[in-house]
Amino acid sequence: MAMNYLEEYRDGRHRTWKDLWVVRPILVCCRLLLRTTIHRPVTVLYPYEALWNPDNYRGRPALEFNKCLGCGMCVRMCPCTAIILVETPDDEGKPVMRPQINMGRCSFCAYCAEYCPVDAMTVTPIVELAEYTRSDLIYGPRRLAYEHTTEGMKVKFEETLISDYKNGNGEIRHDHFSIDRPELDEKKCISCKKCAKVCPVNAITMVEHGTNAKGRPILWPEVKSDVCVSCSNCIDACPKSALKMKEVL
Amino acid sequence: MVEYQSILDWINFPDPMSNPYYPFGDAYNLPYDISMKIWEILGGTIAWLLNLIFPNNGISGWLVCDMTANFFALVVFMILMFAVPFIGCLVSLWEERKILGRAMDRRGTMIGMWGFLQCVADGLKTFMKENVQSKAVDKMAFMWTCSLVIGVSVLLAIMVPLSGRWFVVDYGSGLLIIMALYALAPFFILVSGWAQNNKFTLIGGIRAAEMMLAYEIPILIIIATVALEAGTFNINGIVQAQYDTIPYFIPQFVGFITFLFCATAEAERAPFDLAEAESELVEGWQTEYSGMKWGLIMLADYLRGYVSCAMIVIMFFGGWNIPFIGDWNNYMPEFVFLLKAWFVFLLMILIRVGTARVRTDQILNLGWRVFMPLAVANLMIVLMLKVGGII
Repeated sequence: MAMNYLEEYRDGRHRTWKDLWVVRPILVCCRLLLRTTIHRPVTVLYPYEALWNPDNYRGRPALEFNKCLGCGMCVRMCPCTAIILVETPDDEGKPVMRPQINMGRCSFCAYCAEYCPVDAMTVTPIVELAEYTRSDLIYGPRRLAYEHTTEGMKVKFEETLISDYKNGNGEIRHDHFSIDRPELDEKKCISCKKCAKVCPVNAITMVEHGTNAKGRPILWPEVKSDVCVSCSNCIDACPKSALKMKEVL
Repeated sequence: MVEYQSILDWINFPDPMSNPYYPFGDAYNLPYDISMKIWEILGGTIAWLLNLIFPNNGISGWLVCDMTANFFALVVFMILMFAVPFIGCLVSLWEERKILGRAMDRRGTMIGMWGFLQCVADGLKTFMKENVQSKAVDKMAFMWTCSLVIGVSVLLAIMVPLSGRWFVVDYGSGLLIIMALYALAPFFILVSGWAQNNKFTLIGGIRAAEMMLAYEIPILIIIATVALEAGTFNINGIVQAQYDTIPYFIPQFVGFITFLFCATAEAERAPFDLAEAESELVEGWQTEYSGMKWGLIMLADYLRGYVSCAMIVIMFFGGWNIPFIGDWNNYMPEFVFLLKAWFVFLLMILIRVGTARVRTDQILNLGWRVFMPLAVANLMIVLMLKVGGII
């Protein structure tokens, strides 16, 4: 009668004698038990042990204070609006604009590090950011510092242009910050100098082009292409939309 | 002014067997001896202090007289007899958690003493739990069945002797009485499942009753087979029959394997935990119990697991004796017994880790069409060996 019962299980799915009935799974578990007893289980005791992280792991962003231009590219690119620019005294006590990051909103996408034209914003392998209050999660410009920055943590941003690709030069990589430059529509310019004021790298100089009907000088901005980081602050600042980004390559 | 008396006049450790009220007849009982000595120290100290303050009072003499000493020794004896299976089942709980964890590539519990203190923490936690009770339950049946399940399990655990000198009662039908008490629990579970007025508990209770139909008969046949081979139902007699010879799991290997599975079912452990199938029924028949009641039911579960292991050790592994070492068995028989019980518990854990829970129809199939013929075959083998004069 017992044999009948065992025969019922020889239906292709349960090959009784080859699967050894319940003995096979028990043996498999015993083998695992033996292995994990001799070696260690795969789980780690998290607060005491940690998993291995890659060297350039994208953890929280970090900022090199003195390298930062205060251009606001990170603020512009942050998808979570975690970054704002705040006025901070620099080493000489002079107020400068520097990013402040709310880690409660940050999604660790590292766009800020990618778009930073001078690699002042980097990623760090730090991911343990627990705090007691939400306000403790807001990292000011000085608190963002991280000293063990390696070359891999400065996330590079290189682009392949569609025009290059169509011409069969798909291998060429361009630095993102040398592709676009602001271009002036002279008819709209009212010589207000706002673009020169907001430029973080002082790439804009106002050049005189004669005088107008009232006898005032006509000043047009001239962009120094090698200094410009294409942060488009001047475009945002222009009251008459006289400036726009143009691909210069 | 009476003269100062030394405390040593009050504590003199008399031979417990010379006490006229000694409850165990001719047999020496180690836990009673220990309890008697503990009471000698406690009661003797109290009596000595009272005698210092109130010289020549009657209470001091009463505290150390034979009858009082016997009574209080029995109280300590009860605590001691419960404490040993309790600690034993805590260790088996710890063993289960650790080994189950390792077999699943985890670590198991990690709180203190390689995870052992997790059991203590769980016990303390259940004290702090709120005791929630549904309004619609049958209160009498709800409380009584819970108490009876726990009480019967504790009674069972205490009935298991740890050695020839560590027992509560030593009587002719020991194995049968243990089985009878063991088989009571499914009845209480059925009534409890009905009394809780909840569909999950009712299904759990019915499953417990249905399961009992499946495994009870093979178990009794195998017990009868072991008794046939040993010539007695007395636990001490069965162990003595295996003294210095091959233990019974070699001639009765079929019976041993069958009994291992049946005893797992009897203790309602996975893969036979149909009555509290937490992935199908919420917590089975224990759904409505909360707080310390649930904790005690959990303790009762593990006590029953411990008793299952102890039965296997007694019947198939030669109890508290190690074969072929002769008089060396006299040193630590209790520890040998507990170690063997934990080893059998390891086998149960290995069954648990490799198998999924059986269905309700599968357990009936298994019980009647696999375990039952195997038990009868085992009986036939033993009969043939017995008739052939080999054992």
